[in-house]
Amino acid sequence: MKLVGKYIEKTGLGHVTLRPEDDEDMWHLYNLIQQDDLVRAPAIRRVQNVSSTGSTESHRVRLNLTLRVSKVEYSSSAAQSSTADQAPSGSAPSTTTTLNISGRVTSENQHVKLGAFHTLDIEPNRDVRIEKIEGWDSIALSRIEESCVPGRGAEVGAVVCGEGTAAFCLLSQHLTVVTHRISVPVPRKASAPGTSQHEKAMSRFYMAVYDAFIRHIPYNNPSLRAIVFASPGWVRDAVYSSMMNEASRRSDKLLAKSLREKGVKVHIVAQLKETKFAREGIILDKFFKMLGSDEMRAWYGPEHVCLAADRGAIGTLLISDELFRASDPKTRKRYVLLVESVQQKGAEVVIFSSMHESGQQLNQLTGVAAILTFPLDIEVVEAEEKEAAEEAERRRLEEEGAG
Amino acid sequence: MSRHRLVRNINIQDELDDDALSEEGDIMTDEQLAQMESGYEHIRAVLGDEAVSGLDDGFIKDTLWQFYFDIEKSLSWLHDEQERRAAAKERKAAKEREKAHKAITQRKASQTPSTSGFNTPTSRTMTPVGTPTKASSRRADSGAQSSKRSGANTPAKANSGRVDPRLLDLTALNLQPREEESPRVDEPLPRMAMEREKLILAAREVLEASGKNVKRGVSLVVIGHVDAGKSTLMGRLLYELGRVDEKSRHANERESSRAGKSSFSWAWELDGTAEERERGITMDIAMQSLSTTHRQITILDAPGHKDFIPNMISGASQADCALLVVDATTGEFEAGFNRGGQTREHVVLVRSLGVSQVIVAVNKLDQVNWEQSRYDEICEQLKTFFGQSGFHSSKTSFVPVGAMLGVNLVERKAPESSLLSKWYKGPTLVDLLDNLEPPVRDIISPLRLPISNVFRGQSSGIGITGRICGGIVQVGERVRVIPGDESAVVKSIEVDERSVTWAVAGSNTTLYLTAIDHIHVNIGSVLCPPTDPVLLATSFTARIIVFDIQLPIITGASIELFHHSRDVPATISKLVATLDRGVGSVTKKSPRVLTKGTSAEIEITLRGDTPGAVARPIPIEPFSVNKEMGRILLRRGGETIAAGIVLEIRQ
Repeated sequence: MKLVGKYIEKTGLGHVTLRPEDDEDMWHLYNLIQQDDLVRAPAIRRVQNVSSTGSTESHRVRLNLTLRVSKVEYSSSAAQSSTADQAPSGSAPSTTTTLNISGRVTSENQHVKLGAFHTLDIEPNRDVRIEKIEGWDSIALSRIEESCVPGRGAEVGAVVCGEGTAAFCLLSQHLTVVTHRISVPVPRKASAPGTSQHEKAMSRFYMAVYDAFIRHIPYNNPSLRAIVFASPGWVRDAVYSSMMNEASRRSDKLLAKSLREKGVKVHIVAQLKETKFAREGIILDKFFKMLGSDEMRAWYGPEHVCLAADRGAIGTLLISDELFRASDPKTRKRYVLLVESVQQKGAEVVIFSSMHESGQQLNQLTGVAAILTFPLDIEVVEAEEKEAAEEAERRRLEEEGAG
Repeated sequence: MSRHRLVRNINIQDELDDDALSEEGDIMTDEQLAQMESGYEHIRAVLGDEAVSGLDDGFIKDTLWQFYFDIEKSLSWLHDEQERRAAAKERKAAKEREKAHKAITQRKASQTPSTSGFNTPTSRTMTPVGTPTKASSRRADSGAQSSKRSGANTPAKANSGRVDPRLLDLTALNLQPREEESPRVDEPLPRMAMEREKLILAAREVLEASGKNVKRGVSLVVIGHVDAGKSTLMGRLLYELGRVDEKSRHANERESSRAGKSSFSWAWELDGTAEERERGITMDIAMQSLSTTHRQITILDAPGHKDFIPNMISGASQADCALLVVDATTGEFEAGFNRGGQTREHVVLVRSLGVSQVIVAVNKLDQVNWEQSRYDEICEQLKTFFGQSGFHSSKTSFVPVGAMLGVNLVERKAPESSLLSKWYKGPTLVDLLDNLEPPVRDIISPLRLPISNVFRGQSSGIGITGRICGGIVQVGERVRVIPGDESAVVKSIEVDERSVTWAVAGSNTTLYLTAIDHIHVNIGSVLCPPTDPVLLATSFTARIIVFDIQLPIITGASIELFHHSRDVPATISKLVATLDRGVGSVTKKSPRVLTKGTSAEIEITLRGDTPGAVARPIPIEPFSVNKEMGRILLRRGGETIAAGIVLEIRQ
């Protein structure tokens, strides 16, 4: 994404103009744009004119529209892409991520009346101006910063397989896109007529993997740093070697080369430690391990995490980006404050992308969790809170009584 | 070079092979005689040719090997042919018999269970005396031997040699049900119940006929740590019991030593795929059957490697009993038994899947010089562990064996077992297998058959294998495949490689289905009666026991749910309560975490494959309705974290 212009006052009011470039940028925009923001972007609108004689004439007009956002829709349906047409190898898979922003028009022009509804279809390489009524908060600003860093982290292609099943994924910093799935029925070896059916089916499966790989993994793209083959057992080895064989049989040197250079079969975490999603995974693991070893140092759930934050106990805050997308600005504000207060105390904050598996898992855990620097017993803390509340209540009553 | 040595070797080999040759001939001629002249002549032609070509090579040894090969080929060809013809014959015979037996009273049917038993002797008496050829005379010489040895060929033989008595009985048995089957669709309900009841009565009679010469069926899963010798033990046992003939034994021995893996030669009988043989490891369940004096045992040889536990679960969920194989070698037993070893995990898994009887075979005792102290030490450790895992001490038994040498499998007469015989006076492995007690079968409830394998049948239709978890199924019956809206007709049923007309709960069956496309039949689907389909669920409550895990279970934990041969992604959507392990009473409501060893009630919700996708429901039933359909396992990150039973289907 490119930052085209940024006019933000000290109070946080102002607007930002961005130019999205790829799928991941769409995801960033989806996370930036809230309900009630003002968004200005190019649009095509069908305009109907009624002449004095009553005849109607309609035509499409390309114009810039400013909306007050009422709904933001994001959908990534890469799985359905490139069914028949074989994309030229090496190019990135076709963009099928769509971002739709609906709302009422706030600036009138000769074609569109004020208050008319419109749905903006955000396209790559078209500028989008976002203005926030509530003002820009630190989370939003840091996301703009993050999204505009050139040459972001590694992109990884992954083939996750079992016997007869395979999923092809592309992982970037914020997104996991499952581009394709295959499932070939493989009779198991125990079947009565022997094992030949099993082996036949397996070789059919390997061929299917090869074909799908060529179509769905842009293996020749320099931004794709690694190709991971993952599976239980030895399916990964068999798939890898069958692909190598097939590549040399078809004398597809490019594929053989990229397989040799980029193919990884194990230890993904070590290789890709620096990328964001691997880091998220490691931290989530750390949280679960802490939960296992010292329950008092691993808390989750908004109320509990807030209590821990109040006591300055948080060492690492794990928070899902889903929470910042809350339609209620108050909820968002609450989490922004939580993050800011934790950051002020020098703790680490990791914002999980809910488009990754780790983010999904965190979402299942209410979306917010914390690893504490020192153990705190939830029940004790809750009792303290209750006491404090009672104390406050008593004082209020006393004051009232006195007053 | 060392021609002398070669010659000497050959002489020994020669004798052995000659012996084997005659047996080969026997088997072949036996079948051929039972079948038909043309097939016989063909085989003989092949035989002759090969003998000639073999002689050309000059080395008798090589000739004989060559000989084996071709017999194998022609035999397999013959098998196919035989099966096809036998099937046709069977159909024809069944039709005729149906006509003929309409008049026969029910007395005939009541007799059938005793006669439907598998009685080999008749087969020999039935064998017609063939043309006086060299081969046939040879057969007569070693008749007794061959009849025992040719166990692997019994199904074909049963179809050919003994067609009349057996088919007669079985069709008679099935006569009433099948006759009334066609109007069954139109008939009012009570009529159908009547007819089902008759079938059930017949089935029960067979199941309970323990006193007669009918062998009771029991299925056994072979479990243990990787490289404990499970497949080797089974391969050797099958050989000792005559289920593996000399021919394939030699073939395995030769091929494995050629691949430089001669120590795996016994295991190759079960590890059939190229990958398994290359790696020397079992990867998927192998199903075999063997019969002891009182039992007909279906054997499921499970993989021991950690990565293939899903396959092992699939096998264990089809078994009544377990045979745990442990490696007695110093350090190896400990490696399997310590945390992370599969000895421990497998035992806990089979217990959770409802297996209550375990035989422990302490293997590779020859590696520690048959020391009694080592055996006792291992037994002690395992006994305590079994106690903790919920096995009753009377349901567990221990036996020392040496699988490679075949010591104490069937008997201890061989010289290799002299060291063991000094201190061990107990039963052999086969004695213990013979005493396995089949559990009570639930044959009244509606049919439930979770599919564990789908393959293409020989001629048409699709073959499926699986264990019947409840009810009864017969040839000609219409069954519904769940999930899905499709139904199929059962074309034929095989149990323990024998063709039968009906099968009841507890049997590991192979069903051939017609009138359905193979895309509708998947591993993990369940066959049910069309009138009484199993429920589909995406969310249910379960009572679980948490295993020895590192990371505790919390709300929202994403898990893999294992149910029979199916595994699906799921989420623990709610922790309802922790329970007292002994009493089952609630100790804490809506707990924050479940740590190891706790028992709890939880809510499980299935997930879709991708984030946001709708979950596909799976066929499952509460434990109270059908025990075998109500058992689940939860795994996470390649580790089994909990086992449980389904309490209630929520949606």
